This record gives sequence, structure tokens and C-alpha cells, in this order.
Amino acid sequence: MSANAAPITATDSLSQALKANIIPNQEYLLQGSVLDSAVEVLLHRLRGLCDNVDAGPETFDDQEVCFSLRDPNHHQAPPLMLRVRKALDARDMPFQLRYIGQPDLGDKNRPTVVRSSLDIACSGMLIEFLNELGCRIEFEYSVKGYMFRKGRMKITVAKVFKISQNSMPPEPISQSYLVELSVLAPQGQDAIGEDMRAFADQLRPLVQLDKIDYKRLGHMSVS
Amino acid sequence: MNMQQREEKQLEATIVAILNRVNDLKTAIQALINKLETEYETINWPTFLDNYAILSGHLTGLSKILQAEQAASLRSRIVLPLQLSCERDETLAHLTEGRVPACTHDLVPDLLRTKPEPQAEQRLQQFNHKASTLSYDTAQKHIAQFTKVVSHVWEIISKGREDWEGESMRSTGMQPTHNIADTHALVTAVGTGKGLRPGMANMVGQGAAGMGPARGPAPQLGPAPSTLPKAPSAIKTNIKAANQIHPYQR
Repeated sequence: MSANAAPITATDSLSQALKANIIPNQEYLLQGSVLDSAVEVLLHRLRGLCDNVDAGPETFDDQEVCFSLRDPNHHQAPPLMLRVRKALDARDMPFQLRYIGQPDLGDKNRPTVVRSSLDIACSGMLIEFLNELGCRIEFEYSVKGYMFRKGRMKITVAKVFKISQNSMPPEPISQSYLVELSVLAPQGQDAIGEDMRAFADQLRPLVQLDKIDYKRLGHMSVS
Repeated sequence: MNMQQREEKQLEATIVAILNRVNDLKTAIQALINKLETEYETINWPTFLDNYAILSGHLTGLSKILQAEQAASLRSRIVLPLQLSCERDETLAHLTEGRVPACTHDLVPDLLRTKPEPQAEQRLQQFNHKASTLSYDTAQKHIAQFTKVVSHVWEIISKGREDWEGESMRSTGMQPTHNIADTHALVTAVGTGKGLRPGMANMVGQGAAGMGPARGPAPQLGPAPSTLPKAPSAIKTNIKAANQIHPYQR
């Protein structure tokens, strides 16, 4: 870069980052669950396997609202889904706006689900902004559980709750904890998938972490 | 030219790797000596042997590096002592942390030795001699005996493993720790909201655009639930959004 070049704008640096492929916009994901009765054993094992053990496992208590934005010209087109997440246990943290793309399961040889994922931290005005945009609330839920780290990998063990309308205590979705193993990485870093498989194998037979296509599952149960 | 550079680079990398290993080994030995000096009253055999295991691990690592192909270029290098002197050499003393103050006639035969010590060499020769004079039959007998012992130990270990694995399999078999149906329920709930939409279980297929916002729950995601004035505003914008659901269609 020469000294007399035009000042670099945010768009410039963004497109440069895109070109250099350094934006971690791909999520590599494996999912599974563990029964409430066995969650202690799993947490114990994770504490042995993961990096952040000396401080004890990190807990989180989040609420997520999923918004949809339909294209008015194409009613049949699937709506754009946007997720807003907020920490209930840390009120001063920003809201998280997240776009998750279609999960790509690939063939048998691909070790994990890959989907595009964009995250951004937002202020509390976000909900109003989305409403003004024409977004509708599709559903909401809260997740409460534990987060572990192992290198680049993130492991969450969390209970998913349905949010009740009339100040009743939140109702758990099932008698199990959702277990997710994920890594955010730039495009084309498929080697991490193998690492994740290897890690997932260490949690067997306690938890079976797999590529799960919720789209297909959803259709099966609806039709 | 290029080739030479590459070779030099390779050599450097090898030397760095060897140096690291040797340093590891050195610290391990220091730790052991330290332990012996400070804990000689309380140390027990298992910890002592653990320390030995660490040492032998480092030694294996070192010999692996030396065996690796990159180390081949080391073979073609020669160390040639040019000058021996009894005077103290400060650089050398510094390099060796004060252990070798001078490159003297005493030390050089030990430091630059590439063969085992004469005593060890002699004993090795004795053994070789003994082995070569042994008759074929006796050797076979010894081997058979040894195989018998080893296979017996192997049997004991594998039986123990079977027992142990069977036990752990049984205990996990009795109590399943995960449930595929639960996994699917959770993943679909988080992914598509199935089972999370209050009162709109079968809204997915039909034109949900019109009725959604009115029925959808008010977002409880406000900056803080206790701030009352915030809540009505959220609902208001909700209704507004419903009216303007197709803002670009005229």
C-alpha cells in the first residue's frame, strides 16, 4: 500500500478480508444429546478432555428468538431466518444477531455438517429494528447449560426450554441435554472436521455426536 | 545454490529439534536429581520409576529424530577438534553452563566418543561370543521356554481385559446414556422451532405471513424485563410490522 492511496473504508477492508478468505463464516457442526441421568458423567468426561478446566466449566443461560423475513415477491421462497440471542445471566453483554445458512451434509466421507454462519454483536435496539424491517417472530426458546473449549472446538451441553407465556417456569423440551460440537472457520478448512470426529469418538458411547439434517427430520414429521 | 540453501535450512531445523529434545532431557534429569536430593526420604518407587519413564521417553524421541531421514545430512558432517588447551575458555564455560571450563585432553575423549566405552564394548563382545557358541538346540529350547512364558502372561492380560471390558459394556448396556428420539426432538426444535411455537403447531405449510405477528408471542428479549415502558413499545412495533408486511407491493 502506498502512502498516497485513498483512505481505506470499512467496505474495502471487508472485501479484502473476503478475498483473502480469512473470515470464519463456516460452521462445522456435530450434534447429539445426553439423558439427564447421564449428564454428570458427560460433564466429568468433558472436564477431563477440554482446555478450560481449571476455572471449572463455563455456564451460560441464553434466550434465542428466531425471526423470519419473507420475500414479498416470492411467497413460495423459503423465508430468511435470523436469530437473536441474549444472555440472561449477563445483562450487560450485547445481543447476538446470527444468520445460519442451509446445512450441507455432503457425502458419507464428510465428517461434519457444514453451514454458513454470520454473527454480529448488536445493541438492544435490534429487536425493534428487525420489527421495522418486517421480520416476524417465528419461535423462541431458552438454553441453559455449560460451555467447554478444546483448541478451536466449542462444546456446549445445554437444556432447551420452551418459553411459557404466563410466568410459569420454563418447560424443558425433552428429558435430555442437547450436545453440540462446533468450530467456526474460514471456507475450505475441512481438516478441522477430522479433528472434530476424533474428539466426538472420545465421547462415545456416552453421547453419539452426528451429522443431523433437521430439515429432513422436520419434513418427515410434518407430512 | 538453491539446493544448498535448502540443505542448510534442513540442517538447521534438525539441529533445533535435537537441541529442544536435549534440553527436555536435561530438565528431566535435573528434575530427577532435584527430587532425589530433596525428597529422598519420602519418594516411593512408582514416582521414581515415573521419572525414569519420562527420561526414556525423551531418549526415544531423541533417537527418533536422529533416525529420521532429515538427520541423514548429519552423518556427512565431521567434528574435528582443532586445538586442545588447558586454559579456561569463557565462551565454552558459558555455553555449557559452567560444566566444561576448557577443552582439555581429559574431557575430549569422553565428549567426542562415537563408540561405546571400552568396558561396555568388551562386555558386548563377550555376549556376542557366547551367543555364537550356543548350540542350535539349546537356543531353540530357550526360545520355546521364553515364548511359553510370554504367551502365558499375554493370556492373563487379555483375559483381564475381556473381563473389564465386558463389565463396562454391561454397565453401559443397562443404562443407555442417550436417546436418538431426544436428539432429533432437540435438534429440530432448535433448528426449525418445532414444538416451540405456542399454539401454531401446524402453521408451517400455510400462508403464515398474515397471522403470525398477532399471535406470535411478544418478544421477551427486551433490554431488561423489569423496564416496563419498553414492553408496550415492542408490541406496538409488532403490530406495525404486521400492517407493513409487504411494504414493497403496491
